[in-house]
Amino acid sequence: MTPFIQARNITLVFKSKTREPVTALSNFSLEVGRGEFVSIVGPSGCGKSTFLNILLGLLRPEAGEMRLNGTPIAGPSQERAMVFQEFGLLPWRTVRANVELGLELKGIPSAERSQRAAELIKLVGLQGFERHYPHELSGGMKQRVGLARALATEPEVLLMDEPFAALDAQTRDLMQAELLQIWGRTKKTVLFVTHSIEEAAYLSDRVIVMTARPGRTKDVLKIQLARPRDYEMRLTAEFNEIKSRIWEVLKEELTPESRI
Amino acid sequence: MKAKEFYAEHRRLLLGFFSVISLLAAWELLLTYLFPLNPFFFTKPSLIAEAFKEQVRGPKLWHDLAISSRAFLWGFSFAVVIGIPVGLIMGWRRRVEYTLDPFLTALYASPLVAVAPLFIIAFGVGVLGKAALVFLLSVFPFIFNAFAGVKSTDRLLIDVIRSFGGSEKDLYLKVILPSTIPYIVAGARLAVGRGLVGIIVGEFYAASEGIGFAISQAGDTYRLPDMFVGILILSVIAVVLTELMRKLELTLAPWRASEEVRS
Amino acid sequence: MKVKSLYTEHEPFILGTGFIIVLLMAWESIPLWYSLPKGMALFFTTPSKITAAFYELLLNGEIEKHFYISAIAFLAGLGLSIAVGLPAGLIIGRSSTLEALLDPYVTAFNATPRIVLLPLLILWFGIGIWSKIVIVFAGAVFPLLINTYAGVKNVNRVLVNVVRSFGANEWQLMKIVVLPNSLPYIIAGLRLAIGRAILGVVVGEFFGSSQGLGYMIASAATNYKVDVVFVGVAIFMALSVILTFAVKYVESRLASWRPETAKTF
Repeated sequence: MTPFIQARNITLVFKSKTREPVTALSNFSLEVGRGEFVSIVGPSGCGKSTFLNILLGLLRPEAGEMRLNGTPIAGPSQERAMVFQEFGLLPWRTVRANVELGLELKGIPSAERSQRAAELIKLVGLQGFERHYPHELSGGMKQRVGLARALATEPEVLLMDEPFAALDAQTRDLMQAELLQIWGRTKKTVLFVTHSIEEAAYLSDRVIVMTARPGRTKDVLKIQLARPRDYEMRLTAEFNEIKSRIWEVLKEELTPESRI
Repeated sequence: MKAKEFYAEHRRLLLGFFSVISLLAAWELLLTYLFPLNPFFFTKPSLIAEAFKEQVRGPKLWHDLAISSRAFLWGFSFAVVIGIPVGLIMGWRRRVEYTLDPFLTALYASPLVAVAPLFIIAFGVGVLGKAALVFLLSVFPFIFNAFAGVKSTDRLLIDVIRSFGGSEKDLYLKVILPSTIPYIVAGARLAVGRGLVGIIVGEFYAASEGIGFAISQAGDTYRLPDMFVGILILSVIAVVLTELMRKLELTLAPWRASEEVRS
Repeated sequence: MKVKSLYTEHEPFILGTGFIIVLLMAWESIPLWYSLPKGMALFFTTPSKITAAFYELLLNGEIEKHFYISAIAFLAGLGLSIAVGLPAGLIIGRSSTLEALLDPYVTAFNATPRIVLLPLLILWFGIGIWSKIVIVFAGAVFPLLINTYAGVKNVNRVLVNVVRSFGANEWQLMKIVVLPNSLPYIIAGLRLAIGRAILGVVVGEFFGSSQGLGYMIASAATNYKVDVVFVGVAIFMALSVILTFAVKYVESRLASWRPETAKTF
């Protein structure tokens, strides 16, 4: 069975006018099955966010192939949607208008848009906040809007670039649990980039560990925890063992400059 | 490869040069070969260059520049000497700010050039009238920028100095003045522009010497190449002064690098 | 007690307006305690005389006539500068090649007082209203252009990427992200443009003109009618202040959803 997302030998170089070119990814390969939740962890600068951007269609690699369900990826398209670390909400639009963005760009008529947006706003637990503006919302709420917006266009793949990194620890835990719930209901394929081993272990089916720059896949670990997962699972010895296995692989890649 | 790198690095400069040179070339060619050159309305770069060479040789241009510069420097210096302290006091003492702010803001927002005829007639067509006008126009950026500079001082730094037992004088010297200086330089840049307007308007209106007068006189006598020479010289001076100020600003205050307002 | 708290609450207003009132009163009373030498007396006037002159001119329709002419030059020049400056700023902001090509001209024009072109414009357009409109345009277009273009350049990269990732094309990007994001800059540019436009009207009408408020000021000055001069100056001042505050108000309303506002010096 061909994997749903397939990346083969991706190489990407950042050229700059003022500095030496930087190879962000070098022969990076990855495979994700449909409906899987896969996390990518790696040291800072290893290229994990860059990879997501390539998958999203915003960056073009120098070499390599990227396919979604067999078709090569040529640019942005609504089958792939991203949730951004800095939220990326349009500050001059209400929550509802922000969620509707993708639908608006697709040309979906207004009535249908509002209905769809209302469903999603409910899904992420923000009923009553449709008319609020981003600056009136907390970090966690903003990210829920980001999630609702990404889901609105019914993408095949959800890309998440350290989406909870800007949130405080408690909100983060909350959002992780909610993400799992929503994922359970919508059954999307998720590619999740994070710095946190714990987060990766808690959320994913598989964890991909990347090398330091230029990034390559170092190892792929399967997370053998049952679903649905709850918070208490994080306190078990089993979970700790998983974490230390990931850590063993990762720590070799960490030099003083790239510590998590 | 080397040429390509050179191009990439100096792209902006090269394109700018290219743009100006092609415009001049096109201008010259169009008015030499394509269109008739009515000397009462048009001129072309070669004629302007000739007029420039002549003017540079003769005494009149330098004399005019000296006259205008004198008046400008007098007015500008007074603006610096009076404007900055006033702005500093306004920033430092709340009551002074409350008292003076509405009045000075109203003046700053108004086209003070409107009083130019009055100034010239009252103070005469010599240095005094022009300098007074330059002062009137250029004092406000100094006042308001010095004021803004003081107000923008990070309160935290003031607390830090105070907590180490610093006196009022220490506060001024170590915290407030340094953070105000970039603002003052920005104010100088604005003041230069406004001061130049003052000098030119003053000399257009009623003068017998000075670069502004030279331009207007050249216009009256339909000597277009001479007029363009004057305009270009003034333009170069204005650009040089402004860019100098801007470089100074950037070195003193890198946070102003995103120029949202060029005014 | 109540008076004291009332005072402290409105202290800025009281001190500010109080100062202006005191100044006006002092000005008014100068001839009372200081007799001016003959020469200076010619240039002197008082607020009451200015007000009287204002009413007189209002009644005989002079002000209306001149105001109308100045208003046309102002609005036409400003309108043109918006029509040209805004789109140009948007386009130049998105194209760094264009920016590099036009940069020398924009820098030169922006640094040079546009007034210096007045004799040339009078030569070309005569002393009618067109030379005024062009000077107003030349003064006002640059703040608009430069600020619009700065707004576009400083557009939030994250937002652009976000909207692009949802499949927006260049035109949609412009409409959905770039324009709203640049709005504070554009409005700041507008405020500066208005100031420059008024300047253009004033100076344009000083020279080679036979109508307009600027002309009114200049000819009154020549005839030593200092009170009329101040009437003109006061009108321009009032217009400037009103328009500037109107735009500042709009700016502050827009800023309600933005944590950072475009700076104003």
